[in-house]
Amino acid sequence: MLFNSISFLLFFPVVCALYFAIPASRVRIRNGLLLLASYYFYMNWEPAYALLLMASTIVTWGAAIAMDWRSAGNRYRRWWVVVSIVLNLAVLALFKYYSFLTDSLSDALQMTGATIRIPSLHLLLPVGISFYIFQAVGYTIDVFRGTVRAERDFATYALFVSFFPQLVAGPIERSGRLLPQLREEHHADYDNVMAGLRMMVWGYFMKLVVADRCALYVDAVFNNLPMHNGGSCLLASLLFPFQIYGDFAGYSLIAIGTARVLGFRLMDNFRCPYLSCSVGEFWHRWHISLSTWFRDYVYIPLGGNRLGRSRQYLNLLLTFTVSGLWHGANWTFVCWGTFHGLLLCMEKRLGIGQRQYTGLSRLCHWGTTFLLICMGWVLFRAATLHDARLVYAAIFTRMSVPDLSFAMFTEVFTALVAITVMMGCEIYLSRKFRQLPVSRHAVRLSAMVMQAAVILLFGVLGGDQFIYFQF
Amino acid sequence: MKRRLFYTLLCILLALFLVDRLGGMLMSQIARHTQDVLGPKLRSLDEGITADVVLMGTSRCHHHYVPSILSDTLGMSVYNAGVGGSDNIFSHYLVLRHVLSHHTPKVICLDVMTSDFAPETAPFLALSYFAPLFGHCEEADSLFMLAGTYWRYKLSHLYRYNAKAASNILGLVMNRQKDAEEGYMPLPKPAQVPLGPIKEKLVTGRDTLKLDYLRRFIGLCRNKRVMLVFVVSPRLTIVEGNQYKALKAIAQENGVPFLDYHGQQLYHNHPEYFKDALHLWDEGARVFSSRFASDLRQLVNQ
Repeated sequence: MLFNSISFLLFFPVVCALYFAIPASRVRIRNGLLLLASYYFYMNWEPAYALLLMASTIVTWGAAIAMDWRSAGNRYRRWWVVVSIVLNLAVLALFKYYSFLTDSLSDALQMTGATIRIPSLHLLLPVGISFYIFQAVGYTIDVFRGTVRAERDFATYALFVSFFPQLVAGPIERSGRLLPQLREEHHADYDNVMAGLRMMVWGYFMKLVVADRCALYVDAVFNNLPMHNGGSCLLASLLFPFQIYGDFAGYSLIAIGTARVLGFRLMDNFRCPYLSCSVGEFWHRWHISLSTWFRDYVYIPLGGNRLGRSRQYLNLLLTFTVSGLWHGANWTFVCWGTFHGLLLCMEKRLGIGQRQYTGLSRLCHWGTTFLLICMGWVLFRAATLHDARLVYAAIFTRMSVPDLSFAMFTEVFTALVAITVMMGCEIYLSRKFRQLPVSRHAVRLSAMVMQAAVILLFGVLGGDQFIYFQF
Repeated sequence: MKRRLFYTLLCILLALFLVDRLGGMLMSQIARHTQDVLGPKLRSLDEGITADVVLMGTSRCHHHYVPSILSDTLGMSVYNAGVGGSDNIFSHYLVLRHVLSHHTPKVICLDVMTSDFAPETAPFLALSYFAPLFGHCEEADSLFMLAGTYWRYKLSHLYRYNAKAASNILGLVMNRQKDAEEGYMPLPKPAQVPLGPIKEKLVTGRDTLKLDYLRRFIGLCRNKRVMLVFVVSPRLTIVEGNQYKALKAIAQENGVPFLDYHGQQLYHNHPEYFKDALHLWDEGARVFSSRFASDLRQLVNQ
């Protein structure tokens, strides 16, 4: 079930009504309802894949209990954490990376003249597998480190892994934040509901008006690269960053808003990333739940910045390459991750982003960072490395005015207006701590209604997938 | 607290309903006065076309058939009802329904494409262009039901103008109708002559629902005693195989003449007539219209 589908707009009010109809003190019954709703939500894609979700839940729950056993020795605990991580990552590798690995191996062998037939499994990628597995693995490591106690109640833990607002595309929540909330009473709070609804409407605006409008042009260009000149490729490359931001930040806001209506607080996933003045700052503002996950569970265990400068660069490169691979089983994502890793190493070496910039210096740093990030997004969007090369070649060698039909011109024009509105509001609200300039209730409600009207008129309501679902 | 929440949500829904209805009225006025491409075409569909010959299809129809040239040769009034991006038979069927609800032409020419019979991922997407006509023709509304958008259009008046909202608004300040002629919209000369014919993939799949609607299309014309002609206007592409086999079979089965200019590789030696691989620009369209007019005259006189 997609957040931007009619079925979700029916599903969510029903879940809310049932949830709040149960007395707040009956936490277990409420959690049971949310667990059922979450599995129903997930099974709308492919019921069979709920078994994978359940298997991952059982393995991580059991391993955590085993680790938390009073008499468990250090070696025993280590064994359990390894079993849990290996099993989870094996599932991820099988479903997400098997074809990529076998294809890459075949290609490599073919280059040496050898041929080998590796059976292909033709497995469909289960929606959100990277997200829930990372959340579950993060929990196991937290228990191993002793930062959280193992959750004894299976239903509560199963809800932690499958909580429907953030199940399929994050934010990847930490056990230390979400698990305690699942044990608390949540009353139907007016402010929470209204704040949640406002976030949801803004999220829908970002997804349906900004991202999906941009997508009409971006897809037209990237799906038919040889037909487009440098200007068209450049325009598409400049629109895609806003498409992916609108898509993913929009999804995150809908997820956070949905949870907020029910009384839960999920972590912020984006903080105006395109205002960053360095790539390092960008990663503090973009997909925060994932970048902090990689920082805590990959970068720091690798040694972080504690083992000297060259080791820090290596750790950064490794972390970002793995992060790229997490995004998709394709060399384009690996290159995208490595590109960001390299940029970060260069920044560390040159001391960029170590201080606050002002005036012209800030503008230059912002502009350079934005262009570098846009260059990276080309790798992310292109279907193959060859396509990415075509885009770069077109931009740098065949530059001319973008070839736009009037129909496409209106789409791009609408997208640009929507981007301006989105970025303007983001900048303003981020400075004013996400508060409207007037505290009058009626003005806030009117703004929400007008946003909904704009979505009806300019939103692409065809039920398109969110980009991050494929990860 | 719960009461306050209930009343606030009720207020939001009422306000949204009001904004939707008022916005719908405003957009309807904009659609009535816009000088964009689709708005005037939908107006003429809604208010009634009176021409003897009506041409239907996608952008290839919209930009390929010059009514004045056809009219001079045939001695009949001609209207080009082609709608850019209208994609496939579902949209053409909807247009036909609207035309026939007001008027019965003598001849209908449908510019067909592979999308009229081949499976697509979003076959009903283009129907959204015709959403402003929702509620004006009961049978055409059944197509919105089929597309799964009926209740969206029923509930939201604003949403009916979603597909072309920006174009309609821009059409208030930019006149795109100044070169239009009875529904025909000339394409400008391209900056570069397209390269020679490019290779096109042979389409082998069949969508049974589309074929069913093609038969319904033919049946409607036959019931109204309208002469129907299928046409494939020139394309600067080469296909290995019979691209329109499914369409030709249906045409033959129902006695519908089929003029395949693509199969004849017409103007493949004149890439200067094309704007791109799929569209003729104005000069090419005028040359083609003369050729098509004489072929159609022969068919009409038979």
